[in-house]
Amino acid sequence: MSDLSEKDIEVFIEAVGGYFKKTTQEAASVGVAYLARNAFPMNDFTGMIKVSADYEGALYFSAPSAMLRHLLTVMKETNQSDENLLDAVGEIANTISGNARKYFGENMVISIPEKVAGLPSGFGQQARHYAYVIIIKWKHYSASLIVDISRKR
Amino acid sequence: MKLMIVDDSNIIRNRITRIASNASLKQKLPSIEIVGTAASGIEAHALFLKTRPEIVTMDLTMPEMDGVECTTLLTGIDPQVKILIISALSDKATAIQALMNGAEGFLYKPFTDDELINALLELLEE
Repeated sequence: MSDLSEKDIEVFIEAVGGYFKKTTQEAASVGVAYLARNAFPMNDFTGMIKVSADYEGALYFSAPSAMLRHLLTVMKETNQSDENLLDAVGEIANTISGNARKYFGENMVISIPEKVAGLPSGFGQQARHYAYVIIIKWKHYSASLIVDISRKR
Repeated sequence: MKLMIVDDSNIIRNRITRIASNASLKQKLPSIEIVGTAASGIEAHALFLKTRPEIVTMDLTMPEMDGVECTTLLTGIDPQVKILIISALSDKATAIQALMNGAEGFLYKPFTDDELINALLELLEE
């Protein structure tokens, strides 16, 4: 189970909100984090960042393809291939976890992004029991940020 | 000015290319020629030797060779090259490490078009 505090989780909420505001010039509605067990809201494309050193676990950003295409359009990216949609979820997960290091420090080492299209069996279940889920609403789309990170004991 | 863009994200490479090209056309930046883009430190090294850019935008978290290692390599080849780190890694230690290894500027992701243009202008003024 993630042992992060409310203050810790706020860092991720601010980072994902900041991503949409800076990148699209339009604020996203970022919901309150809740703890989920096993049933994680995964979408068409998911980017995952593993953490190590003083922390363990992973962060997932998962979004529907329509949302990612709209996001790329706002960024003036005309290539909306699946490859670029995968690139987008990886880059968003990377940006959120990288920004979080301002608070957690250099001893939260982050991996390069792993990216998955579709809903491969078991991917959502890689998260351990009880991870934080944050729902992000932008325009009429809904994406999810899953924070399955804890401090090493 | 010859610019090389290094980032493992295709959409970020394209975005920096678009912003820098448009700013150059609108004379918000000095005339810039983008000599190429690279998706890793290893690709960047090969492209650098081939094209000899004067300015480089450099991501930090990349496969094979990270941005700090690549910055050290490129400034070792040409101490005059100006390197702007563009990264989401927001902790102070990372920024200090990059600057100590030869980078001259640091821009945090996510960034707006104007923030990138201003960061490139500051780099060119140094």
